[in-house]
Amino acid sequence: MNNMTNNSLNETHLKNSTSDKVMYSETYSVTEKVSASLKRRHRKESRFKAAGLLSVLLGFCLVFILISDITYKALPAFHQHWVKLEISFDPSWLSLKDSGESSLLSANYRKVIKHSLYASFPDVKGRKDKRKLFKLLSSNAEFTLRDKLIADVDLIGTKQPVWIRLDDDVDSYLKDEPEIGAAGARVDSQQAGWIHTLQIQNRIEKRFNIAFFTHGDSREPELAGVKGAFTGTLLTMLVTLLLSFPLGVSAALYLEEFAPKNRWTDIIEVNINNLAAVPSIIFGLLGLAVIINIFGLPRSAPLVGGIVLSLMTLPTIIIASRASIKAVPPSIREAALGIGASKMQTAFGHVLPMAMPGILTGAIIGMAQALGETAPLLMIGMVAFIVDVPTTVTDAATVLPVQIFLWADSPERAFLAKTSAAILVLLSFLLVMNISAAILRKKFEK
Amino acid sequence: MVDMSSAESLLSQDTQINGTVGNCYSNDAKMSMRDVNVYYDQKQAINNVSLDLARHQVTALIGPSGCGKSTFLRCLNRMNDTIPICRVEGGLTLDGSDIYDKNMDPVLLRARVGMVFQKPNPFPKSIYENVAYGPKIHGLSSNKAELDEIVITSLRKAGLFEEVKDRLDAPGTSLSGGQQQRLCIARTIAVSPEVILMDEPASALDPIATAVIEELIDELKEKYTIAIVTHSMQQAARISQTTAYFHMGQLVEMGETSQIFTNPAHKLTENYITGRFG
Amino acid sequence: MNTSTLIFVIAFLALFSYWFAIQRTIKLAGGLAKVKRLTSLPRQFGTLTAFWCGLPALIVLLIWSIFETSVVHSILLSSLTQEVNQLPLDQLSLYLNDIHVIAAQITDGELIRFDEENLKHRAARYLVETQVSADWMKSGLVLLVCVCSVLFIVSRFTADFQARVKMEKIIGGILWASSGVALLTTVGIILSVLFESIQFFSAVPPLEFLFGTEWSPQIAMRSDQVGGSGAFGAIPLFAGTLLITAIAMLLSIPTGLMIAIYLSQYASERLRSIAKPMLEILAGVPTVVYGFFAALTVAPLIRDFGGWLGLSVASESALAAGLVMGIMIIPFISSLSDDAISAVPKSLKEGSLGLGATPSETIKKVLLPAAVPGIVGAILLALSRAIGETMIVVMAAGMAANLTANPLESVTTVTVQIVTLLTGDQEFDSPKTLAAFALGLMLFVTTLALNIIALKVVRKYREQYD
Repeated sequence: MNNMTNNSLNETHLKNSTSDKVMYSETYSVTEKVSASLKRRHRKESRFKAAGLLSVLLGFCLVFILISDITYKALPAFHQHWVKLEISFDPSWLSLKDSGESSLLSANYRKVIKHSLYASFPDVKGRKDKRKLFKLLSSNAEFTLRDKLIADVDLIGTKQPVWIRLDDDVDSYLKDEPEIGAAGARVDSQQAGWIHTLQIQNRIEKRFNIAFFTHGDSREPELAGVKGAFTGTLLTMLVTLLLSFPLGVSAALYLEEFAPKNRWTDIIEVNINNLAAVPSIIFGLLGLAVIINIFGLPRSAPLVGGIVLSLMTLPTIIIASRASIKAVPPSIREAALGIGASKMQTAFGHVLPMAMPGILTGAIIGMAQALGETAPLLMIGMVAFIVDVPTTVTDAATVLPVQIFLWADSPERAFLAKTSAAILVLLSFLLVMNISAAILRKKFEK
Repeated sequence: MVDMSSAESLLSQDTQINGTVGNCYSNDAKMSMRDVNVYYDQKQAINNVSLDLARHQVTALIGPSGCGKSTFLRCLNRMNDTIPICRVEGGLTLDGSDIYDKNMDPVLLRARVGMVFQKPNPFPKSIYENVAYGPKIHGLSSNKAELDEIVITSLRKAGLFEEVKDRLDAPGTSLSGGQQQRLCIARTIAVSPEVILMDEPASALDPIATAVIEELIDELKEKYTIAIVTHSMQQAARISQTTAYFHMGQLVEMGETSQIFTNPAHKLTENYITGRFG
Repeated sequence: MNTSTLIFVIAFLALFSYWFAIQRTIKLAGGLAKVKRLTSLPRQFGTLTAFWCGLPALIVLLIWSIFETSVVHSILLSSLTQEVNQLPLDQLSLYLNDIHVIAAQITDGELIRFDEENLKHRAARYLVETQVSADWMKSGLVLLVCVCSVLFIVSRFTADFQARVKMEKIIGGILWASSGVALLTTVGIILSVLFESIQFFSAVPPLEFLFGTEWSPQIAMRSDQVGGSGAFGAIPLFAGTLLITAIAMLLSIPTGLMIAIYLSQYASERLRSIAKPMLEILAGVPTVVYGFFAALTVAPLIRDFGGWLGLSVASESALAAGLVMGIMIIPFISSLSDDAISAVPKSLKEGSLGLGATPSETIKKVLLPAAVPGIVGAILLALSRAIGETMIVVMAAGMAANLTANPLESVTTVTVQIVTLLTGDQEFDSPKTLAAFALGLMLFVTTLALNIIALKVVRKYREQYD
């Protein structure tokens, strides 16, 4: 270009009186020149456009593959296979002394089940085979019997048909029906034969898996449920909401309505914008080093998780609230101030209510972010294996995303479906939140 | 044509337009438009307009704001194609060939019918690159020297060369408003169009810059056919040979500029140029 | 009383003092009818008093709670014998832990038999007693503060007492303090990460950490070795992070940019209205879900495909993690670039089209160059996001610190190592744990720098077209 500047000052150019003529005569050849390259340019145009369309379609494909892959993997988790056994509640087998609750709790239910099972397959001999046969049942079969007996003491001494959960390996086998002996199959041909017999006798039934929604975590996939994680999530979100919403709105109100334009405000503003982009795992480090190690709050508690997540969502809520407060027309403020309201009364009585829908939308989006967050919670110990459903914010708990992480790491095949199903639960939770945010936003726009 | 008998209420003006008064055709037409209708979705923006743009003349399109003159102008190089809801009907020809024909390439059309916009819109590139933009994309030059020559000639024709010859590398946005608009004109003529459409090119400029632009337009008509939309009646009077008066999407009157401004045939035109509304 | 009960009590007292102050004010004015003579409304007096009741008490409670654990701890330590106090640190903490367990059993009534001879039992009883008295002191102090401050403020009520102004000052103070929380968070992050990192760097030289090419922190776990003898060269982690980030960017930048271009320049209103939610779904899917998708769907797919081509692909290949991370970043880049492209004035686009440029020429030669700062900002923000992303790599990338540029091999990243080092059993002062904070510091500094540059670029760009 510098070259050009030198050229342009060239005397021959300046005095080139013929150039005008050249251009004029060229006017009619322009059409030809343009036409010459038109085809190539249009090809480029359609290639470019196609690339754009392809990218958009790729996006749709990815969403479709992601959702359908997870849904497909999740489907088996919603059903479970149960088997019907004829159980005789023989007091001597149960080694019952009386029908009091304490003796019912410690009775020998395993023996009863074994008797019933071996009676169904009289030709199974030998300890090894018998053990294999017993392994068809879920390890909580005994508890099923116990609960049944405690609920109805009169059953003692009678013979009853009882439905019992099958083991997760058997359950997976029944769902997929893989080839016997294939790699990864955890049911051998002998067990498959027994299962087949039971099926022919119509003693196997497929039921909706309620346990998935009513149980806490478990090492046994057929017993594991999301209730614990779901409750943990609710408690954590409650803490997050209670902390980040008032703090975020107050901060936004201060920055928009009261803050003087000075260095302090500038620093806070830059700080909030940067904080919004700090990786979430760093907040986990903060929680571990400060909240747990210095303040001594309990590890693994929804309280700590909630505090960490609220610090993380605070910038999101502040930024959204500020935008919403800024959008309130100045005439509202002037009108309120004009009739003698104080600045504070104007802010709380007039500006805040008008900005509320936008603030709520921002808060929901912030909460949705917090809901899906996993990494910082790993740092503060919410990864522990916890069976009990938490009841307060200081109980050890886990949350849905962490539960997903834990299950995804489990080697049992059946946990794959559980993980996907837990993801579906999490995604529907998120969907509900986002739809409500969208509805709010639409209302706001009107 | 209807003669106005008395001062009528301005509210019923639309009922007074029954076709165009005056002479809207030319013997030496560069572009001719016949029965043009333009719709935005359901709303009709241009209603049955027919007119010619005479070769090597400046045709001014005047009228109150919202009368459709800009919309009409944008039909002439199919800029309205970029608005999805806009639909154009009627016969529009450039040198006898239909510009809305399937075989007419809008790219080629726009190379032949250039456009200068209301607000100066230089690209965020250097002055040189701004002018070289059109020739480069159309492949009008085969080497650097040729391109240099096109750039310099165009800048000179736009009357800008002397002012910027020392800083062709400076960004186009660093120029003053009037210079920016002349840069945009230089950019347009660098493609060697046959027709130049100008949409209120001086409306964002101060009076001195406007005077320079008007002078430039007067010179340009030697080589190009020009259509200019303007808000200023004085400007139309100063620079155009033919004037067309638009009102509510219709062409009310068209004729020689001197006649329109001294002796308008239609009451509406008279009302407008005497400043009763606008 | 435990803390939550105490908070409820304070809230109740605050409500009561609100009512109490209103009654006082009405009496002060000389009846309900004469309330207008006061400079402020009775409910403003009430709110002010409620603040005076609640705020000092809550502050006292907060300070108490922060220091209670450490004070009780030191009281317990001073009650123990010299011998115990001279135990090595890890044995001492075990000893104290036992005492805490026994103390918990005592309070829950689960301790089977109290042994007067057992030092630990006696210490536990002492601990329980201390805790109980500390609890009483806390409750008493907090309630005292409540009552005193209410009495103080009520005693100052007069007819021309500026209750509204004083109340608004307090609210203003609360608002101001709220805006400071974000700043405190940053300071907290910097201090905690920096403090632990300095400890780490006193055990491992910074140069060894920054430029060492071998990473095997597990060695430091062994108790018979002095801390720091493990290898803490972070180069393989940085390289792994870069490799995965680069793969993610290679996928997401072109795709995201083309989506932004197509949606803002070509797409019909209908397509836009369904494509936007599609992008929002991609953006809203939690990272743990992407991690699951990467580990259990994409990684096996790539391994099988590689096997079919005759390539050996690690089951936790960098490619799988990178690609899925790229998917995650796509909506981020596309929405920010969309903003940047849409911010380019429409007149520029028209100017180019008016010269006969095709839409793609207009986009490539005018719109994109004009939007470059905005797009660069978007890419930098996306980069910082990819570097800090944790769950995808934790689940889909490996643990092995390989120094390789082969995307088919397994690599590890900074975030993966932070998680690995800090989950599970940990001793807080071992270099292994501290290394996580040093990595956290690197991560924080890098992302912060990227963010600051990106925000500056974007802001400059906005000013250009505003």
